Amino acid sequence: MRILLVEDDSLLGDGIRAGLKLADYAVDWVRDGEAARLALLDHAYQACVLDLGLPKRDGVAVLKDLRQRGNHLPVLILTARDSSADKIAGLDAGADDYLTKPFDLLELQARLRALIRRARGSATPTLEHAGVVLEPATKRVTRDGKPVTLSAREYALLHDLLSHQTHIRTRSQLEESLYAWGEETGSNTVEVYVHHLRRKLGADFIRTVRGLGYQLGDSA
Amino acid sequence: MVKGSSGVQSLRWRLLSTVCIAALLGLGLSGALTYRKAQQEAEELMDGHLAQTARLLLALVRDNESHLADLATRLATVRSDRASHYDPPLEFQIRRADGSLLLRSEHPPDTPLSASPGYTVIEHDGHRWRMLTLTLNEASGDYRVQVGQSIRLRDRAALEVATQSVVPIALMSPVLLLLIYYSVRRGLQPLDDLAAEVASRSPENLKPLASGNAPLEVQPLLAALNRLIFRLRGTLESERRFTADAAHELRTPLAVVKIQAQVAQLSGNADDRQHALAQIVAGADRATRVLEQLLRLARLDPLARLPNPGEIDLTALARQAVADTAPTREAGVIRLQVSDSPLLVRGDGELLQIALRNLLDNAVRYTPPDSTITVFARRHDGALSLGVIDDGRGVPPDELPRLVERFYRGCEPSAEGSGLGLAITQRIAELHEARFEVENLAGGGFEARLCWGRTWAA
Repeated sequence: MRILLVEDDSLLGDGIRAGLKLADYAVDWVRDGEAARLALLDHAYQACVLDLGLPKRDGVAVLKDLRQRGNHLPVLILTARDSSADKIAGLDAGADDYLTKPFDLLELQARLRALIRRARGSATPTLEHAGVVLEPATKRVTRDGKPVTLSAREYALLHDLLSHQTHIRTRSQLEESLYAWGEETGSNTVEVYVHHLRRKLGADFIRTVRGLGYQLGDSA
Repeated sequence: MVKGSSGVQSLRWRLLSTVCIAALLGLGLSGALTYRKAQQEAEELMDGHLAQTARLLLALVRDNESHLADLATRLATVRSDRASHYDPPLEFQIRRADGSLLLRSEHPPDTPLSASPGYTVIEHDGHRWRMLTLTLNEASGDYRVQVGQSIRLRDRAALEVATQSVVPIALMSPVLLLLIYYSVRRGLQPLDDLAAEVASRSPENLKPLASGNAPLEVQPLLAALNRLIFRLRGTLESERRFTADAAHELRTPLAVVKIQAQVAQLSGNADDRQHALAQIVAGADRATRVLEQLLRLARLDPLARLPNPGEIDLTALARQAVADTAPTREAGVIRLQVSDSPLLVRGDGELLQIALRNLLDNAVRYTPPDSTITVFARRHDGALSLGVIDDGRGVPPDELPRLVERFYRGCEPSAEGSGLGLAITQRIAELHEARFEVENLAGGGFEARLCWGRTWAA
């Protein structure tokens, strides 16, 4: 899962990126409003963590711009101003949630999980398909009740596929979801992780759609 | 309502007392005059009566000289027995010019009839009497008549008349006082209303006071109050903004410390942990710096003038600043450019050092690592200046005026300062009656300086 982090403070941005990486998110970090606008135009993210006081382009302006284009990306606002007026302005501009600095990393992670889950249109905190259950909060994966151990990339790939149950996911979509900027992807890494997942979850769990990409197999 | 505590005079009480005293004085004076006048009129009226009676008696005696004895008994009834003030008992005697008695009342004064006609006052029967003597010279002979009234009774009548004329005035005075009281109260009502409105206000309510139906005299007070409210609102607004900004500036490094600490706790990777710990230290450093700057500004803000200024050599300050900074500068050059002779100003050396260090920090922070920074102290056209020049990219022209705004950090995302340095420098310049000037240099680069237009130098 790829997340856009917009934070102008280098120390704080560094911390949030590290914290989100711990939750196996791929994090793109930009430091001003203009860069945020461009990143949001060019890439598909699962969520955006947006600071409000930004150079070049205010966070609220970035948000309004995003919503005007009809983009429903879950956006969590980070603000150091705790006045209601600031929160109201942010929420009214189209934010889904906010956190006031200083905040708890675990809370940020939980809120992002909830936002991503709701954006998927699901109220249950777990993702399920063909006896495989993924709990985003604990990152636990079970197959028929038995725990399955996955690497961070394998987990991210499984999460992506489970989040788009009926969709066909192209290789580039999956790559974009798995990797942040600057993380070089090998030519066939997605295939490698699909292969690993099939080995751990069953050969039919992921179906190859020739010439297009991958999809979850039929429920057994 | 009478008098405020601590001896402050109430306007209402002053108005009431002065107007009431004036009214009572006026009433008393007019009462006294009326009393006097009424008394005089009564006296004159009764003297008139005396004269009329005397003439009547003379006429009667002259025409009835033949049977005066009958007349005497009849005339006895003239002397009133009903002792009313307005009808005082009358005594009289009528004689011929030779002194022979013609007619008299029962107890006339036994003074001889004096030859001179007119009013006299005599003692008779234990009382004082008002007497009128008249003479009649005719062919048939001369007559003299004397008519008298008791002054005591006359006075009582006069008193009665005078008192009656003063009574309405006396009755009117309480009504007048009441009217005065209500007029003063009504007149001062707008002041009471204004006081009530101001008193009922909460400190948050800084809307201007409505001046709609306030009287002309209260308008200047209202205008002054509203000006004060306006200034107060400005001050409060900037205080509020400052507090919000200060909170923001402290929250961000705290957020850094917290999140990096959690990363260090949660991360399984030793390198990541070390990195996070280093970031915590940096965050704590920044919080410390922001706090220091905030406290410094808070201490400088209320100062009206420098506490204990001394003679400061600007060249020494510049030298010191370069010496302090150079060892920590990783790359690039810091140069010193000072005149040979000392440049003296009156001021606070420590504060000027802080100001210069802020300028130097800014130059270091906002220029590429390999740029040249020059600290200077110079005299030019009689003006002294102390400042820093760099050969960096300068500041966008539209940002120049905002540099001294508190917490303004420019649009550089890499800016890590507190945003207070130049605000502090500006404040220090103000305290030194110096100008704080910033400009982009024509050949590229940026100069910031404190400038003394006139020198205090020896």
